[in-house]
Amino acid sequence: MKIVTGTEGDCRVVAIHGSADVNASEMLREALLGAIESGATRLVCDLGRTDFICSDSLSVLITAYLKARGRGGFVRLANPQVRVREILSEMRLDRLFEVFPDVKCAAAVAR
Amino acid sequence: MSPKAPQTDSAGPWIRKVLPTELERIREPEHEVLARMRDLGYDEDHRFAVRLALEEALVNAMKHGNKMDPSRRVRVEYRVLPAQVEIHVADEGEGFDPGRVPDPTCDENLSKPCGRGIMLMRCYMDEVAYAGNGREVHMVKYRRT
Repeated sequence: MKIVTGTEGDCRVVAIHGSADVNASEMLREALLGAIESGATRLVCDLGRTDFICSDSLSVLITAYLKARGRGGFVRLANPQVRVREILSEMRLDRLFEVFPDVKCAAAVAR
Repeated sequence: MSPKAPQTDSAGPWIRKVLPTELERIREPEHEVLARMRDLGYDEDHRFAVRLALEEALVNAMKHGNKMDPSRRVRVEYRVLPAQVEIHVADEGEGFDPGRVPDPTCDENLSKPCGRGIMLMRCYMDEVAYAGNGREVHMVKYRRT
């Protein structure tokens, strides 16, 4: 897995490339929680190139969501591909997270 | 389904491995199972489902079962047949009651970070059964065309 960070509007974008498996979840934790600790509380997680996600990485996303929300921000998901979208749906996490078709939409929508 | 101890029968031999409680080691059985599935022509949906369930079972065994104790081992047994994939994972922990694990998809649990591994296994495999006071999980994925 590779993490690529950037910005879109006033949002920090964290893109997950490849498989967010258990051995990659710590890297994801450092990227997301590190961004929040450094003051970035409006985050978009780009899942357009994420081909696998395990429960550990889902836990990281949820922890980041709670921390960002606690600081008045958000973690939004962008462009999940079919299998990751199915996992989000099966776990009903598409009711917890706002899910957008792409990063631009996720960053553009008003809070 | 009542769990059975895996035995070699006319359907094909079981592959047996004993892993140390190290998360890095779960890739080895994953790669082997997926390679065998690819050889037998299982499509991407089947391979994704088995990869996810096997990862969750092994992570549960190491983290929640063995509590990452390096002196404990995880036993994994599998066989990939033309019509189905069968996997058994056993840890050396204290066991647990799978029936008492909260449903992570309930509204009140949606924002809880943990507890999704078992449900993912149940969603993506056709059969999931526990034995040995929760220390063993037995899973089957049937091929569908």
